[in-house]
Amino acid sequence: MLEGAELYFNVDHGYLEGLVRGCKASLLTQQDYINLVQCETLEDLKIHLQTTDYGNFLANQTNPLTVSKIDTEMRKRLCGEFEYFWNHSLEPLSTFLTYMTCSYMIDNVILLMNGALQKKSVKEILGKCHPLGRFTEMEAVNIAETPSDLFNAILVETPLAPFFQDCMSENALDELNIELLRNKLYKSYLETFYKFCKNHGDVTAEVMCPILEFEADRRAFIITLNSFGTELSKEDRETLYPTFGKLYPEGLRLLAQAEDFDQMKSVADHYGVYKPLLEAVGGSGGKTLEDVFYEREVQMNVLAFNRQFHYGVFYAYVKLKEQEMRNIVWIAECISQRHRTKINSYIPIL
Amino acid sequence: MAAPDLRAELDSLLLQLLGDLEELEGKRAVLNARVEEGWLSLAKARYAMGAKSVGPLQYASHMEPQVCLHTSEAQEGLQKFKVVRAGVHTPEEVGPGEAALRRRKGPAKTPEPQSSEAPQDPLNWFGILVPHSLRQAQASFRDGLQLAADIASLQNRIDWGRNQIRGLQEKLKQLEPGAA
Repeated sequence: MLEGAELYFNVDHGYLEGLVRGCKASLLTQQDYINLVQCETLEDLKIHLQTTDYGNFLANQTNPLTVSKIDTEMRKRLCGEFEYFWNHSLEPLSTFLTYMTCSYMIDNVILLMNGALQKKSVKEILGKCHPLGRFTEMEAVNIAETPSDLFNAILVETPLAPFFQDCMSENALDELNIELLRNKLYKSYLETFYKFCKNHGDVTAEVMCPILEFEADRRAFIITLNSFGTELSKEDRETLYPTFGKLYPEGLRLLAQAEDFDQMKSVADHYGVYKPLLEAVGGSGGKTLEDVFYEREVQMNVLAFNRQFHYGVFYAYVKLKEQEMRNIVWIAECISQRHRTKINSYIPIL
Repeated sequence: MAAPDLRAELDSLLLQLLGDLEELEGKRAVLNARVEEGWLSLAKARYAMGAKSVGPLQYASHMEPQVCLHTSEAQEGLQKFKVVRAGVHTPEEVGPGEAALRRRKGPAKTPEPQSSEAPQDPLNWFGILVPHSLRQAQASFRDGLQLAADIASLQNRIDWGRNQIRGLQEKLKQLEPGAA
């Protein structure tokens, strides 16, 4: 691919880049968040959201309004925007956008399998699946009993097929194995996506590769933290870490041996980027590790818009929109539970 | 029974009643705090895991309870409630009390010999690698359960105390019909 995206990018992708930048400008501002935080009920929240770019998206909802309904409608709206981009895209942007949907597909597959374990009806779960991760074979997922079953019978035609190499086994799908399957699929997906961006080269690689490396490192830290005190062994834990990123390979080896939060923190001390993040955990604000990582992700995604002629703006827009949805859901939960002490723990974007 | 004895008993019952009321207030406030904390931790878990990952999709419509309510009668008409882990053999009760095992959720069954399978931790419904906030929520709700049983016992004791006081006051009136 010739360098010099400035010369060729706009031919195929200029319209969509303009569109996504317009969408990004309509994200909620700090003033909008201040208005939302002052709402007393969810109905107030709905009225305030009508004045933003969200408009009347909750108009068809029956009473009573719940946080879950707000979340579902926001997701539908994002899905509508994304599908517009997808339908109007050309290669290689369409492959890039397909990669973006794979993470939601993995979540949906796991949701369906867990539902099968709990003997839920497929229709009930299909209603709650992420719309961005829809694929035609979804209804059949609950029939599979082992990962190889799942692959051979159902997922071999979907974009998820290449991610199954490490996951083929005859083990029955119980909770531990489903969790391992989820993390291995995601690891495979991240590595493939990273390779795609790197091979594409040009500005896209310069913007996307650091973002994906951060994602890999973040998964390593979170998997480690959540595995303390569970039945997951250290060897199993190490197989779940993606094999790229700043932590690869020495940091990952150290992380695999960590047994508590302080040991994890000492691993992070070796990396200039992660040392201040882990130190901000806890403290007076009561921030969790997930919070500090979300903040850093928002910073990186906002910076992606400073460069032109690359696909990273699409990825960054979807991630920023998701953070905005998380913020609104958090504020809505605090309002509906009438517990307003932590209502300002959202992450402002613009 | 002589009037001064009755009065002394009435006084002590009244004092105990007031003490119980104060304890009840305190326990109610703590229960409210725990339940609020639990729900907020669940909201934090949804923030970290995704809004649809912590919800009704994750649990089955029929579930085996992890804890059972154990009622025992200490004195005539006074019942005590205790929360007991399911699957643990309750010790033989020696004395006048009658023990009954009541299940809080699920179909009502006569007490059966305990099954050898250990009850599964509900935390695993949400996956093996769950965020810390979900564990905190579980701990808050567990504390709340204990408190709920204590509050039920206290309320029972307060009602029983009030009945006793009323009974004693009747007796006093009969003994001293002219007394103010």
